[in-house]
Amino acid sequence: MRVFFFILISYMPYCLNAQDNLFSLLSKDKSPVYVNYLFKGTKIVNGQSVELQAKDILQFNIQHRFGPLNSGAYNLYGLDFSQVRLSLEYGLNDWISIGIGRSSSTKVIDANSKFRLKRQILNGFPVTIVINSVICLKQISSSNLLSSNSVGLYDNLSYTHQILFARKITRNLSLQFTPTFLHYNFVEIQNANNDRFSLGFGGRQKLTKRISLNTEFFYQLNEIKNKNVLSFGFDIETGGHVFQLHLSNSPHMIDTDFITNTIGDFLKGDIFFGFNISRVFNLN
Amino acid sequence: MNKILFILLISTQIQAQIFLGNTGKISFFSETPIENITAVNDNVSAVFDASNNNLVFQLSITDFIFPNALMQEHFNENYLESDKYPNSTFSGIVTNLENDNATVEGKLTIHGITNKITANGKFINNGDFISIIANLSVRLDDYRIKIPTIVMYKIAENIKINIDIKLVSNK
Repeated sequence: MRVFFFILISYMPYCLNAQDNLFSLLSKDKSPVYVNYLFKGTKIVNGQSVELQAKDILQFNIQHRFGPLNSGAYNLYGLDFSQVRLSLEYGLNDWISIGIGRSSSTKVIDANSKFRLKRQILNGFPVTIVINSVICLKQISSSNLLSSNSVGLYDNLSYTHQILFARKITRNLSLQFTPTFLHYNFVEIQNANNDRFSLGFGGRQKLTKRISLNTEFFYQLNEIKNKNVLSFGFDIETGGHVFQLHLSNSPHMIDTDFITNTIGDFLKGDIFFGFNISRVFNLN
Repeated sequence: MNKILFILLISTQIQAQIFLGNTGKISFFSETPIENITAVNDNVSAVFDASNNNLVFQLSITDFIFPNALMQEHFNENYLESDKYPNSTFSGIVTNLENDNATVEGKLTIHGITNKITANGKFINNGDFISIIANLSVRLDDYRIKIPTIVMYKIAENIKINIDIKLVSNK
């Protein structure tokens, strides 16, 4: 009789709704569910985000930064000054992307590579980890090159290395922590350190499905003269394009400039308005 | 006692007429004068129970592969909200099976919304495996998938769906 009950119980599931029963026969997918799209763009504001350019996608960016808001009506609150950075970003595969750009006012050519080491997994690994390395070359004019106290190519190089940790906390909120190391082969001020350390913090809060508010803060660890960098950005997605509007106390757009050469004070009105427009091309 | 066991065994035999597939293909197609959009999912699973003609399908929204990564991002993030609604399912019954042509009636769930649908297609059963090929069309509005006005002319209101799956007898 005990055996009979055992068999009866083991047949109980068949008494359930036949179609629910069929769903239970479907093989459970054991592959990890990756958490995607932590940020809308490859940058939070000026600093890199953990997002990489997708494979075979080439993105062309035109970035503008204007002068400080507190420069008065004569300069139309900064809009009379403008600098541009043109850049290209390309995804080699799912976990490597490369980029190259040039900033107009500082005449710096920069190249970077991003590697994704780990991805956030639903109910699994907690963060996405990306390494970003940048090399920057400051161009020198030929007249400068000929003068006696000229500096060589080697002296005009600077480097940035960052490790990016980010987590999508909710479907609207993502946070990022970015320890950053910068090295300058040549520093103009005597006794200044060639190596600089900063801690970056960033966040993205979606306001609607297509608009998000981004914030970024770089805290300087060993550079007193340089200000901490505070930036706010709006990402507005319109189908094929993403418009980004920025307010920052730094007018620069590349790591070795904005992280360590920011002299503006956000609270005193040294705020620079800027915007980015980008266009993607599918190269596959 | 032995009789009961025997009956149970017989009923097991009936229950065992089950066909399973895990690598089915479902693709969809949006056609407008401006842009054609297509995506393919090669990981569709389905089960058919020959004893009562019940048929179920299940797929993961993130398994849809687009030729363009940006489209795939918009599909997951803005339209299907795959983080909220990761799966799409169908459960129904095969009716009117004649000369390998079948009608299937049931409930289709996409984007968390369930609607009753009827679809026609090929249903070829040769004992060891079943091959299902069907086309249907769904209205985005029926599943509360909202298209903003700025891209309205790029995305069709009715999306064509092609189903192609092979189910193997689970002996």
